[in-house]
Amino acid sequence: MTRPLQRLLPALLLAAQSLWPLAASAAEPSVQGGYDWGLPAWVPPPRVPPDNPMSAAKVELGRHLFHDTRLSLDNSMACSTCHVQEKGFADGQATSPGINGLRGARSAMALVNVAYLPSLTWANPLMNSLETQALVPIFGSHPVEMGMEGQEDVLLQRLRDDARYPALFKEAFPEVEGAISLSTLTKAIASFERSLLAFQAPYYRFKYEGERTAMSEAALRGEALFFGEKYECYHCHGGLSFTDNVVHARLPFEELGFHNTGLYNVDGLGAYPMANPGLREVTDDPKDEGKFRTPTLLNIARTAPYMHDGSIATLEQVLTEHYARQGRAVHDGQPPNPNRSAFIVGFEFTAEEIADLLAFLDSLTDEEFLSNPAHGNPFAP
Amino acid sequence: MPFHRSLLTSSLAIVAVVIASDAAAEDVSLRFAAEVNGEAFTCGQQYSPVGTTASTVTPGDYRFFISAVALIDAAGNAVPLQLTQDGMWQHENLALLDFENGTGPCINGNAALNDSIKGSVPEGDYTGVEFTLGVPFALNHTDVVQAPSPLSLSAMFWNWQGGHRFLKVDMSTSGRPITEEDLKRAAAPMAMRMAMPSAGAMPGGMPRNAMPAEGGEEEAAGFVVHLGSTGCAAESRTSAPTAACANPNLVTVRFDNFDLATDVVVADIGKVLSQANVDVNTPDTAPGCMSGLRDPECAEVLRAFGFAVGDMAPQPQQFFHAR
Repeated sequence: MTRPLQRLLPALLLAAQSLWPLAASAAEPSVQGGYDWGLPAWVPPPRVPPDNPMSAAKVELGRHLFHDTRLSLDNSMACSTCHVQEKGFADGQATSPGINGLRGARSAMALVNVAYLPSLTWANPLMNSLETQALVPIFGSHPVEMGMEGQEDVLLQRLRDDARYPALFKEAFPEVEGAISLSTLTKAIASFERSLLAFQAPYYRFKYEGERTAMSEAALRGEALFFGEKYECYHCHGGLSFTDNVVHARLPFEELGFHNTGLYNVDGLGAYPMANPGLREVTDDPKDEGKFRTPTLLNIARTAPYMHDGSIATLEQVLTEHYARQGRAVHDGQPPNPNRSAFIVGFEFTAEEIADLLAFLDSLTDEEFLSNPAHGNPFAP
Repeated sequence: MPFHRSLLTSSLAIVAVVIASDAAAEDVSLRFAAEVNGEAFTCGQQYSPVGTTASTVTPGDYRFFISAVALIDAAGNAVPLQLTQDGMWQHENLALLDFENGTGPCINGNAALNDSIKGSVPEGDYTGVEFTLGVPFALNHTDVVQAPSPLSLSAMFWNWQGGHRFLKVDMSTSGRPITEEDLKRAAAPMAMRMAMPSAGAMPGGMPRNAMPAEGGEEEAAGFVVHLGSTGCAAESRTSAPTAACANPNLVTVRFDNFDLATDVVVADIGKVLSQANVDVNTPDTAPGCMSGLRDPECAEVLRAFGFAVGDMAPQPQQFFHAR
């Protein structure tokens, strides 16, 4: 990023903030503007861009588009190719191939409660709208994912020629008479993504709905470790969706969290591999080398492999070979990354503690979400 | 009859309160500044010398909660300031002061800033001000997810049991560096050793504290000052305590001569750290001071907030002064 743009960043963030109404009333209904988020009473509703209010019709259109392979140049890939519902809307791979067979540098992110994120993807504070983000996999060329660069007319014509889409667009966007455009397409996909809400994991039912039996004894011991000062997990993986990146109806501030966990230290000076320098790629600030946005831990037991590049196969290894060692760089024989977060202090562990932590992380899996037909593929036979 | 008399007295008191609240109110604001040893805080700026080692520090956060603001009238009475309920910075009698703008080392913060508390008091002649650094118990242990703003800000939240951080200052220091320059200074010899196993003494006068410890086990970077309640007995770390915390760590401050129109409350973390060594951290303790009574790095920090630590008597609070 150029210097002027870097100086502009705070102003841009402030401008983005002012798009949303700041004051929130004490109790916000789960039904807003005719759309029912289906949220438990304890959950604050998300904030939505004023130019794209939620509607059931938009979500339904977005569900079709999300699962439709015609959004890729060769009709081989849909959004759901790399965001698979039963895998927590990740894809089980370290990195994913685009239509040209070449893999990108970073792992497909799990999609859950993304409506509450002020910043999207692994390390781009400028990517703050789902509507804009949807353009990247469809049209991006570095890497090529769905391969539609320069082919928007082809894409839109496919949808206009389809038997179902004109009616779906009309229902979702009556104010523009169902125009099939990039604007309506990305608004519908974003609306579907905002509907991917998971608040029925055992831990939530235990904590907020008084279901005392939802958690095993091991999971409860794991909870105490997770929120304790030995393991330090909760400092970054805290709050509504177990990430320190959050914004919602009761939170007029956009909270961002980008951290270096010491995964790499290739030159002893703190460098990360060239392909993935983290936040520095956007800010051009050397201090941002190796910083990535804290991902959610919801459904984490189902979204292996882990880290921004999918370089750790199991959650147990994440704990014992990465965080226990002041970062995996140490496990790999390098000095600890000197630029890592102050909370990456390393720890001695017992096998039972690790088992308890894994039981706690398991309690963050929302089985209903992973099989809810409302999020599923409408084209499935 | 005593009973009737007391009833009459309290009725009169109620009438008096109603009349008082009907009296013309004036809008006032109490202004704050955040400094490090007299220099205004800005994200990314270096400050030196700080603490007993004359460390150079770069703060990456500077936020704190103020509650129970009252103005002192000529008779010495404390008249509570009724805070404007703005849905953002102020809730009930609590306000968040925020001096970080989300840039540079403050990247984990946000763009919005707030340097004053706004509210109203009955018109009158006020000569002083009183306030508390921290979140009162009744508000402190609410769930961050369900709380109204500014209590919903997770950056200022520990957990249900401990409640909120009353003050959050995170720093990179000479001895515990996280800035680029300090990073290079600290790590260069190690990298050079890797490249040239026989390399001897390195030129450049690297600070001793920046040397990696024996065996290559380098400490985590940074020195933080997080003030908050400790010793809050609860069923678990994610349950609210039912009784008051053993160490509430609320700091009450009073300035008898304070003119709201011209004076500013200056918060100065440099003065809190004047007797502390910010270049070291005891292994197996929080980096810096997270209000742990047994953390050696907390002793001089907590004393400077006005708390006794073990056998060590408290100082008068050093964090705030009026200007």
